Amino acid sequence: MEHEHNCWQCGSADAGSLFCRYCNSLQAPTPDYYHFFGLPRTLSLDATLLQDRFYSMSRLLHPDRYTRRSDQEKRYSLEASSILNDAYRILRDPIRRAEYVLKEAGYEIGEQRSKDVPPELLEEVFELNMALDELRLGDTDVLPQLDEMRHKFLAMLSEIDGQLEQLFRRHDTVPTDEDRSRVLEQIRSLLHRRRYIQNLVAEVDRQLTSRNA
Amino acid sequence: MAYSDKVLDHYNNPRNVGSLDKKDPDVGTGLVGAPECGDVMKLQIKVNPDTGIIEDAKFKTFGCGSAIASSSLATEMLKGRTVDEALQIKNTEIVNELSLPPVKIHCSVLAEDAIKAAISDYKAKAGVDAGAAQTA
Repeated sequence: MEHEHNCWQCGSADAGSLFCRYCNSLQAPTPDYYHFFGLPRTLSLDATLLQDRFYSMSRLLHPDRYTRRSDQEKRYSLEASSILNDAYRILRDPIRRAEYVLKEAGYEIGEQRSKDVPPELLEEVFELNMALDELRLGDTDVLPQLDEMRHKFLAMLSEIDGQLEQLFRRHDTVPTDEDRSRVLEQIRSLLHRRRYIQNLVAEVDRQLTSRNA
Repeated sequence: MAYSDKVLDHYNNPRNVGSLDKKDPDVGTGLVGAPECGDVMKLQIKVNPDTGIIEDAKFKTFGCGSAIASSSLATEMLKGRTVDEALQIKNTEIVNELSLPPVKIHCSVLAEDAIKAAISDYKAKAGVDAGAAQTA
């Protein structure tokens, strides 16, 4: 949360984020989304609270309010408004929020590992690919099977979402950094599995629509 | 990026595509996947229980040309070797044989993982201590 700096305008130390607590001039915005919103770094977030802050901060930071202010403040209001929009877009979505926290904590998101995919899932993926192959060859008998698999994958996704919710709460309450890293590692692995399954569903949908087209 | 001639050859004429009876006690099945590219590779071996020699190998891979070529080559390399010899196969041999570019090395790793997984499954079935043969 600490974002100590001297106010660019009045020079006061400990100016506070967003606005200087002494001269009330707009400060250089912090690029950290949580700091920006003045929120603790929790993975569970109250959506209403976030939305309220977003609206009130949008009003406070809107460039229209700074047309008669110094160039510095004009620039800060533009920067801050852009960070505000990015921050809101990321933080209001639980998945993007978790990805953001992981990235900021130094985890690689793009790099997926084989072990993120449990063997049972691989079986399903293999079966799915076999069915899709048959469909491409014109065998429509596999359509009910594909539909069933699609539902199974969607069920897996909602199961993962439930697990993520629990892990988010654990992340927010564990006592030590070590525990938190362990939870983050689990979250990372679940997010990868989630994306993998999502891609599978998208692939099924793509094949089904291209067939109908 | 262009595929090497050897990759194209294996891709256009994949060797040993198919499957073996999973329930056969002499058959080991390895199923591995690379989530980043969505590839799935199934590799099976049939071992002669008396000699320990791999008599047949089959694969079915969903993925890019390099993944298909890597697993196709892997089945060729497996046939005629003993299980322990097969465990020595390294992905670098596949890389060299197929002249895989750096971005496709993970395909050969996947093939090596599939070999190890199939052997591990066979050993587990045969009641042999899998030891160093771990599934990836």
